[in-house]
Amino acid sequence: MLEINKLNVKIKDNGENILKDFSLNINDGEIHVIMGPNGTGKSTLSKVIMGHYKYEVISGDIIFNGKKINKLTTDERAKLGLFLCMQDPTVIEGVSNSEFLKTALGEITGEKVNLFSFIKGLESSMEEVSLDSSMLHRSLNSGFSGGEKKKNEILQMKTLKPKFIILDELDSGLDVDSLRIICDNINSYIKDNPNTSILIITHYSKILEYLKPDFVHIMMNGNIKQTGDLELSKKIEKYGYSIISENDKDE
Amino acid sequence: MSKILYIIDENDNKDYKYNIDEDTIIYHFSINSSSNVEINMIKDGVTLFYYYSDINYDDNNFNIIVNHLKSNTHSEVINHGVNVKDKRLNFIVDGVVLKDSYKCICNQDNQIINIENGKSTILPNLFIDNYDVDANHGAYIGKFKDEVLFYLMSRGISRNMCYKLLVNGFLISSDSVNIKKIDKFINEINNI
Repeated sequence: MLEINKLNVKIKDNGENILKDFSLNINDGEIHVIMGPNGTGKSTLSKVIMGHYKYEVISGDIIFNGKKINKLTTDERAKLGLFLCMQDPTVIEGVSNSEFLKTALGEITGEKVNLFSFIKGLESSMEEVSLDSSMLHRSLNSGFSGGEKKKNEILQMKTLKPKFIILDELDSGLDVDSLRIICDNINSYIKDNPNTSILIITHYSKILEYLKPDFVHIMMNGNIKQTGDLELSKKIEKYGYSIISENDKDE
Repeated sequence: MSKILYIIDENDNKDYKYNIDEDTIIYHFSINSSSNVEINMIKDGVTLFYYYSDINYDDNNFNIIVNHLKSNTHSEVINHGVNVKDKRLNFIVDGVVLKDSYKCICNQDNQIINIENGKSTILPNLFIDNYDVDANHGAYIGKFKDEVLFYLMSRGISRNMCYKLLVNGFLISSDSVNIKKIDKFINEINNI
């Protein structure tokens, strides 16, 4: 599904290298987790995969379903099936949630959106994520609480039906009930679309009680230092990143 | 219930004068036009909402003056312009409260988005001659934020379509606009 080979990335503004020879391979239907200290490049990775304007790929490849996507624009990547559930979704005044979703769906599918089935589908999805239907008519993410913003991201995921989902700190700012509702929706999506792959970026192992990962990676200094399973995330939560060997840290 | 007026200018240069003696909403849509607007609030306690929405291609000016001639009058002037080409778009926006006009509210919000590298200016003036007044003004000139474009594009929306969505939201800033009355303006948004 997604193959990242020896990726080196810098910030355009100051030239600082963030990702250093970063490699990762995620197959169809797999759930991967990346954990790591603050400022180690986890969120940068998620944005680079989506073609964020602040970063420049110096070398290396991002390959999605056999196609090199380094040079593709952000919307072209989304049209291929990539979806980034953002840590802090952007507020856009004047653009209603429904107009935004209808436009996005039309662009992704390349077809004219049937208004009746679109609205019916949305109403049902909103109920599933426990969002009030009045939010459809409000400006995008405007006045939404932290939990509502995250639910709105999941609503978009359910509507746009991506193949590869990046969850960037989905669990930050969420109460336990909201986290459970959101994870139930993601699990239900995976059940309906078993080939979907997920990359979870998180600081905490709580979310991994709901979304069972196949691999857990520890990222430090712009690179993956150790890979394991769910037990590794539990160890990290208990002992911190000091358990990563000094040799690994210095690599 | 407020009185509602629609003004639609297209490649024009016009002067408008209104004496406001009842609560009024004015929607002023402008396609590549200049205009001078004079508003006189002539009755105690009346409210005016003035929404100016402008799509600009050449050098144009929009001047508006709101005179609070009576006490307890309330004006909200919202001017949004999109300067599409490398041309000049100028807003001069004056709110005037006379010495004998007490407890007035005089607010204005002015924004111009430059799509390319146009030269835009806004003069948001408040001339207040009374101490018991609530008055605010703001002005912004710039482009749509990269962060906003990234968010929309990350959902598969092409850059051109992003601009259409954003311009539409920016220029049709009131939910109560009767879209049927401004179909020409809506078509123009789609042509940007």
